[in-house]
Amino acid sequence: MNLLLFFWLFLKASLLSFGGLGNLPFLHKDLIDLGWAQESDFVTAIAVGQLSPGPTGLWSLSLGYLTAGWLGAGLALVALSLPTLLILVVASFYNRLEKLPSVQGFTRGLSLGVVGLTLAVAWGLAGAAIEDWYGILIAAGALGLALSKRVPVVVILGLGALAGLLVYG
Amino acid sequence: MQNVKPLSRPGLWDLFITWLGLGIQSFGGGSATFYLVRQTSLARGWLDDDEFTRAWALAQVSPGINLMKLTILIGKRLRGWPGLIVSVSGLILPSALVTVLMTAGFSAIRGQPLIQAAMRGIFPATIGLSLAMAVQMGWPLLARARKEGRARLAAHVLVLAGSALMLAGGYGSPVVVLLLSGAATLLTLAVVPAGRELPVEKEAG
Repeated sequence: MNLLLFFWLFLKASLLSFGGLGNLPFLHKDLIDLGWAQESDFVTAIAVGQLSPGPTGLWSLSLGYLTAGWLGAGLALVALSLPTLLILVVASFYNRLEKLPSVQGFTRGLSLGVVGLTLAVAWGLAGAAIEDWYGILIAAGALGLALSKRVPVVVILGLGALAGLLVYG
Repeated sequence: MQNVKPLSRPGLWDLFITWLGLGIQSFGGGSATFYLVRQTSLARGWLDDDEFTRAWALAQVSPGINLMKLTILIGKRLRGWPGLIVSVSGLILPSALVTVLMTAGFSAIRGQPLIQAAMRGIFPATIGLSLAMAVQMGWPLLARARKEGRARLAAHVLVLAGSALMLAGGYGSPVVVLLLSGAATLLTLAVVPAGRELPVEKEAG
């Protein structure tokens, strides 16, 4: 594995995303194409990212560990942290940026594209994550609970695990 | 906000310990941590309410993890670059370590049948969570377009569906799809004027 390319792919994904699972589509395409990661690595990393403390964005450390061990996790952390420093540049240009209507219009389009990408990735991952009708039911239940905003993520995933034990155990 | 003096100037060690505490308490996801950071910032007089909201808005429009960007702005503002470094390290390092240890622990036990059965239930649940995130991010965008008229709503839905279909079908890389979405929206906003306001039903958060 070319570690420089590994670092660049994580850095690029972070540069082009706005936190959370935003870097997922980029990493998913690049690492699967290179054969460095499996679909199951992605679902595992996302689940760990949701369960562990800190921002959800740290899920890519888990992916880094699954693809390249501790070194991979370390490289992923640096790649995840560096682009956030651009906030200092944005903050200094803030007053000018905010007033340009074209910047606002383009940003709205970017956000729409991000939602589209999230849907496409969920569709792609569903192939590996959902095996049968029980899987569809669990996914729909998790969607409903998450949208209600009354149930913490840890509880939703815990209920998923319980359902898995009952159905497949 | 660069010209405004911070309300208080904590010591570097104090700053590190405070962010470390926030990092360790940040089980339960980003939004829970966000409220914790806000509460602490206001209680310690690091920022006032307006400054905090502005910093959070700025964090939305530059790349990377939002909470990390917010921490960068607050840390830099309080104690310059050293403040930035101790704040981000305090917030991220404990959670980063726990994330990797959990992954390592999970890799070691993922062969066991009961764990596998549980994971077969967790995986579909993560798909449900991704869909929920798409709905939560997409809803405000579409609600705003709807207020601007049917034509704009239709254009937004087309851009959203088009980008999803393009990536699901493997046409174009995510970067290309995102840039196309931005350009297409910019174009439709210029061509399609905001129409008369439509009656909007009660919006879910």
